[in-house]
Amino acid sequence: MIASSRERYQTVTVLDEALMWAVALLLSISLVMVYSASIAYAEADAATQSQSFYLVRHSIFMVVALAAGFVAFQIPSSFWQKYAGKFFLLALVLLVLVLIPGIGRVVNGSRRWINLFVVNLQPSEVMKLAAIIYVSDYTVRKAHKLHSFWQGFVPMFGVMVVVAGLLLLEPDFGALMVVMVISMAILFLAGINIRIFAGMAVAAVLAVASMIVLSPYRLKRVTGFMDPWDDPYGKGYQLSHSLIAFGRGEWFGVGLGASVEKLFYLPEAHTDFIMAVIAEEFGFVGICVVIGLYAWIVVRAFQIGMTAKKQERYYPSLVAQGVGIWLGIQTFFNIGVNMGMLPTKGLTLPLMSFGGSAMLMNTIALAVLLRVDYENRRVIRGYKA
Amino acid sequence: MPPRAYSLHDRSVSKPAMRIAPGRVSVVLGGLGFLFLLLLLRALYLQVAQQDFLQNQGDARFRRSMTLEATRGVIADRNGEPLAISTPVQTIWASPAGMPEVSETQLAQLARLLEVPAAEIRSRLADKKREFVYLKRQISPEQANAVMELGIPGVAKQQEFRRYYPAGEMLSHIVGFTGVDGKGQEGLELARDAMLSGKHGKRVVLRDRRGYIIDDLAAIEPPKDGQTMTLSIDRRIQYLAYRELKNAVEVNKAKAGGIVVLDGKTGEILALANYPSFNPNNRMRLDPEMRRNRAVIDMFEPGSTMKPFPVAMAIESGKVKPGTVMDTNTYKVGSGTVRDTHPKPVMTVTEVIQKSSNVGTSKMALMFPPEQMWTMYDAVGFGRNPRAGFPGEVGGRLRAWKNWRPFEQATMSFGYGVSVSLLQLARAYTVFTADGHLLPVSFSRVPAPPAGQQVITPDTAQKMRDMMTKVTEIGGTGVRAQVLGFNVGGKSGTARKLVDGRYAADKHIGLFVGFAPATRPRLIVAVMVDEPKGGSYYGGTVAGPAFSAVMGGGLRVLGIEPDAPANNTLIPVNQIPEIREET
Repeated sequence: MIASSRERYQTVTVLDEALMWAVALLLSISLVMVYSASIAYAEADAATQSQSFYLVRHSIFMVVALAAGFVAFQIPSSFWQKYAGKFFLLALVLLVLVLIPGIGRVVNGSRRWINLFVVNLQPSEVMKLAAIIYVSDYTVRKAHKLHSFWQGFVPMFGVMVVVAGLLLLEPDFGALMVVMVISMAILFLAGINIRIFAGMAVAAVLAVASMIVLSPYRLKRVTGFMDPWDDPYGKGYQLSHSLIAFGRGEWFGVGLGASVEKLFYLPEAHTDFIMAVIAEEFGFVGICVVIGLYAWIVVRAFQIGMTAKKQERYYPSLVAQGVGIWLGIQTFFNIGVNMGMLPTKGLTLPLMSFGGSAMLMNTIALAVLLRVDYENRRVIRGYKA
Repeated sequence: MPPRAYSLHDRSVSKPAMRIAPGRVSVVLGGLGFLFLLLLLRALYLQVAQQDFLQNQGDARFRRSMTLEATRGVIADRNGEPLAISTPVQTIWASPAGMPEVSETQLAQLARLLEVPAAEIRSRLADKKREFVYLKRQISPEQANAVMELGIPGVAKQQEFRRYYPAGEMLSHIVGFTGVDGKGQEGLELARDAMLSGKHGKRVVLRDRRGYIIDDLAAIEPPKDGQTMTLSIDRRIQYLAYRELKNAVEVNKAKAGGIVVLDGKTGEILALANYPSFNPNNRMRLDPEMRRNRAVIDMFEPGSTMKPFPVAMAIESGKVKPGTVMDTNTYKVGSGTVRDTHPKPVMTVTEVIQKSSNVGTSKMALMFPPEQMWTMYDAVGFGRNPRAGFPGEVGGRLRAWKNWRPFEQATMSFGYGVSVSLLQLARAYTVFTADGHLLPVSFSRVPAPPAGQQVITPDTAQKMRDMMTKVTEIGGTGVRAQVLGFNVGGKSGTARKLVDGRYAADKHIGLFVGFAPATRPRLIVAVMVDEPKGGSYYGGTVAGPAFSAVMGGGLRVLGIEPDAPANNTLIPVNQIPEIREET
């Protein structure tokens, strides 16, 4: 406490090394696998013209994302809490903007991208982080009212209905699922009345079910994943090829670069279905390693959250756990889709899939997590957070 | 540095009433853990338990077994002249599944180069699920290259072979032809398919979705090309035979005809033709009638061309000699009467042959029990498959001797009640040319004359040749079969055809079978004209001229020295009385 600020900075380990290594490993795997999965596709496509097209872009995204992460790490968690509402509002504005024709770009029938000339921004990715920041802040602010239906639950519910409505207009059902899971889990962790939570869960399930039934395009996606072999050249095309990739991988995989599915059979091999390529090239062992790394990140996020909680730093605690929930649930959704356990949603695999917005927001979220950890360490040593 | 006030403020913000229950954290973390466990179990299920099913599905999509086509062997005549050769051609195909939309200009270019209507190409490309459709098969490499230069994605070429038959229609029945898949369908192409087709090689590959080969999944089995097959056929004699047969059929307004040329010393088939025929290079309008290899697969009653065999039997036994005088008045045998077209009360055995007497021949036949005559017929190959190696060969029909009645035995001596193929008939004549041996016939060149089966003694064969030579001399039934500079031995035949079990009065088969040079026989020629309607239907008249032309030409082609060089004028056939025979 008597040391100079520079000395103090040095006495606290800046980063959680174990977490950093896991992230670094995943990002390295991502570089290799995005390249492997896209090489043939990029070379054959007249628009990209180079086999390293996606690798170069992905590397640039990653550098930018790491720079953004570095900046985010400098921001104390208190700042996020202070500006949680404004940040959430910004995400909402982006979600509205993307719906405006001329601003939002339509790809595959969904209006999900805002064209920023150099890159495309995906507002739903921003909303995922914003939901963590905002719902955590909301629960901390209203901690004493969380047992109340009208005062604790309904305001949050209203906000979520707006978000859900905007996401459905794109439509981006996958992002909606992620945002809902994040929000409900944080409310649950923050101690919302268990009966309200149960009611909410039932309502959410009903809402999801009704949306699926009412929207034929979603119903088609749902039925397609149940039995891809029923129509393997039509509705079940993508999934059947993904499953074949898993089957070909066996225990140890066919080897790096040797995937056949990525050779124009499996669509979206370098984005949503990158796990299928990993499964084919590295087998069950590769799957275990990747899932293990994600599990480790999730566990670390919760450990960091629990440490912050012990320090009665509840907001950082919830944010840390929120980041863990986000990465965990999106990883589950994506890999589940790849393996035919869930209907196709258009969700990327965090830290792994090709895609700038997702990479950027994932890295920022991890920077926030690392910041909470850094603050924990400082507090343990008796410094200010 | 003392802690600043705002740090206290920080803590105060998150202080009120907040509690994160460790139990709930466990529930959330446990829930995520459970989901991750599900992922691992599912991966284990897919990658281990389901691997066979999934890999089979994968193989069905990207594993291809490619045939590496062996070049089909050449069929050549005895002098190495090609009769069937395979030339490389290209086939244009497309993969509608992986193809971008083809523009109208591209479609028009494609249609023009392939000579296929644009609408048809469009309809073939319409089914976007198909990964292989033919656009046009078997076009020239130049044409195919022009198509590939259009650079339309998804359109590819593939090498195939097209069979080409330089001899065309004149040899189509023997050589036969192959289908578009390169398999033999008719003739020797079918019979010797295994030898000609060789062994296709195999290559198992992985292909990407665009059809490019990524990898070999097994060692490449290279193709083994087919062997060259050298036939016994002499293309020059074949050409002659076909031309003369065609002429004979047309001049006599006949339904069809057949001709067989044998080497009288080796039994090799030097020529074998039928008319009508077809062009194997262009089988667009192929009538089954044209496809019949009549000389090999059609049976008919040979009529008088049968007579030399019972006579040879009588000579062989010593019961008669060429000069033996016979009573040749019309006579009754059992239920029937045997008569001649030009009845004469008395003839020598030689005259019986020369003038084709039914009475004389049947009387000689009836000197023997049915069993002995059957043995003679059997020995010269009647009723037996000649096994020349042609698909669908027939052995003719020779009834068991036990239930021959005497009249039947009599009629069988002049060629009724017995059926043979033209090839069989020509082969039977080898007993006269090969010093009494029946030779096996063959479509393949034989390295050395085969031994054959002794049927009559060389002396009897010599006597028969002398007698049969009289047939083409003045007073014989086959004067039109004479050949300048050669002694020609032979026998004419005119058989009524059996129509619905009765002998038709207006449907005949005209035949001439003979050999030359009669003193040192080398060639056997058998000519059959089916249902001649051009006035005369007698074998000597309708088949004789064709026989003469083919025999004369064939001997010249082979460079055979004339055995009667002094005989340098032909008997003017229209100035002598025509000797006809009705059987």
